[in-house]
Amino acid sequence: MTQPKIKFDRVTKRYGPLTVLNQICLDIDPGELVTIIGPSGSGKTTVLRVLMTLESIDDGVIYIDGEPFNKMRAGGALAPASNAHIRRLRARIGMVFQNFNLFPHMSALDNCIEAPIHSLGLARGEAVNRADELLDMVGLAGLRSRYPSQLSGGQQQRVAIARALAMQPEILLFDEPTSALDPEMVGEVLQVIRDLASAHSYTMLLVTHQMGFAREVSDRVCFFDAGQFVEQGPPQELLGSPKNERARQFLSKVLEAR
Amino acid sequence: MTGRLMAIAALIAFLLGIVVATFSETRIFMPALLRGAAVTLQVAGLSFLLMVAAALTAGAAKTSPFPPVRWMAGAYIEIFRGTSLLVQLFWFYFVMPEFGVTLPAMAAGVLGIGLNFGAYGAEIVRGAIQSVPKGQREAATALNIKPLHRLVRIVMPQAMIIMVPPMGNLTIEMVKATSVVSAVTLVDITYASVQQNQIHYRTVEIFMVTLVLYYCLSQLIRFSMGVLEARATRHLCTGH
Repeated sequence: MTQPKIKFDRVTKRYGPLTVLNQICLDIDPGELVTIIGPSGSGKTTVLRVLMTLESIDDGVIYIDGEPFNKMRAGGALAPASNAHIRRLRARIGMVFQNFNLFPHMSALDNCIEAPIHSLGLARGEAVNRADELLDMVGLAGLRSRYPSQLSGGQQQRVAIARALAMQPEILLFDEPTSALDPEMVGEVLQVIRDLASAHSYTMLLVTHQMGFAREVSDRVCFFDAGQFVEQGPPQELLGSPKNERARQFLSKVLEAR
Repeated sequence: MTGRLMAIAALIAFLLGIVVATFSETRIFMPALLRGAAVTLQVAGLSFLLMVAAALTAGAAKTSPFPPVRWMAGAYIEIFRGTSLLVQLFWFYFVMPEFGVTLPAMAAGVLGIGLNFGAYGAEIVRGAIQSVPKGQREAATALNIKPLHRLVRIVMPQAMIIMVPPMGNLTIEMVKATSVVSAVTLVDITYASVQQNQIHYRTVEIFMVTLVLYYCLSQLIRFSMGVLEARATRHLCTGH
């Protein structure tokens, strides 16, 4: 039995009286691509945000490679994690945001070398070489000196993907990566993600409303609603004939709209 | 920008010309006023440096995740914003010696003005830092960038764009407020004018020159801030 790359163990997140994540459990194998679907406001994005440490969690433990992430082992028990512990494990995770969140005062290249130089301690020349390779891979070789304001949404999101990859993560999180894009730019971003899924060994967690894409690339699809994973399974099965009533309703609405 | 500056310079030269040509005894009081202008410039320049340093430090400290740091910054801001600038100068110059700390008049003046205006500037800096979109900090966190580096390299450059115009405004206010240093025996433009007026009774000429000198200083700041703003925003619109 392989050790899960990521493990959510009864993770709970509350905003005041609202429970966004209600004791969720999820194991993700190394190299697996898991897609999370579900209604807006159901908290599926929060699953990614707590994993990226952008939100604290109220209860439960997240494990990365079998190591507790939001906690650390101290003696036999689990203690609150130190900053150094979080930074060490967080280095394995990269995230791509719905709104790109590129640094507007830096060129595409500078966006991709800032963190490698600062956080990984790479020499500038090496960081530039690798950033150039990644920008080339996402099809933006000629645009390295452009600023985000001079790029289209699709180009910005591809820079954001290159920026995340430049940190050499093992886990990639995509939070609705095409939701803020004009329709004609969705394809170019999905193509980059598709290439990543087929040619690399990243463990990927994807929140999306692109059902066709989810069916095509996912190893597993999870339906998330009201703070919990309600149903999960292979994409054909879950998207084709869901057993859960809410999942069925959601999918019929989404597929109707297309 | 340069055309406008030229026009302003021409206007100032013209006004100065009128003063020089019309009033024959300008040269009697002019050297004293220019010496005063040099003092004002020195007080303003040093106060500006202290103001910016204090504003950036206290403004950033107010956004700190550590409560004691926030409280210290808050106490500084409240004390210096909540009391009179003139009284603060008196404290630095007349009261501190009672506790064994004797400051030269210039140091007392710069400390008082710099810290007082720094407290107002701190609120500008805090507001600017907080108005940088949350996603920027989140992206930095996701890239494992440490908090201090994030502040300096990611947040501050974006906050600059928001803080430069109100800081320019505050600096002009500050330059004009430097006239309070006459209360701690420094002979700045204002004090020099008063002295020269008592000696020569050329009231209209003297105070006209005083106005023009202050106006020139303000224009200098306005121009510098324009340059700074253009630099800070240069990448944010297409077509550059």
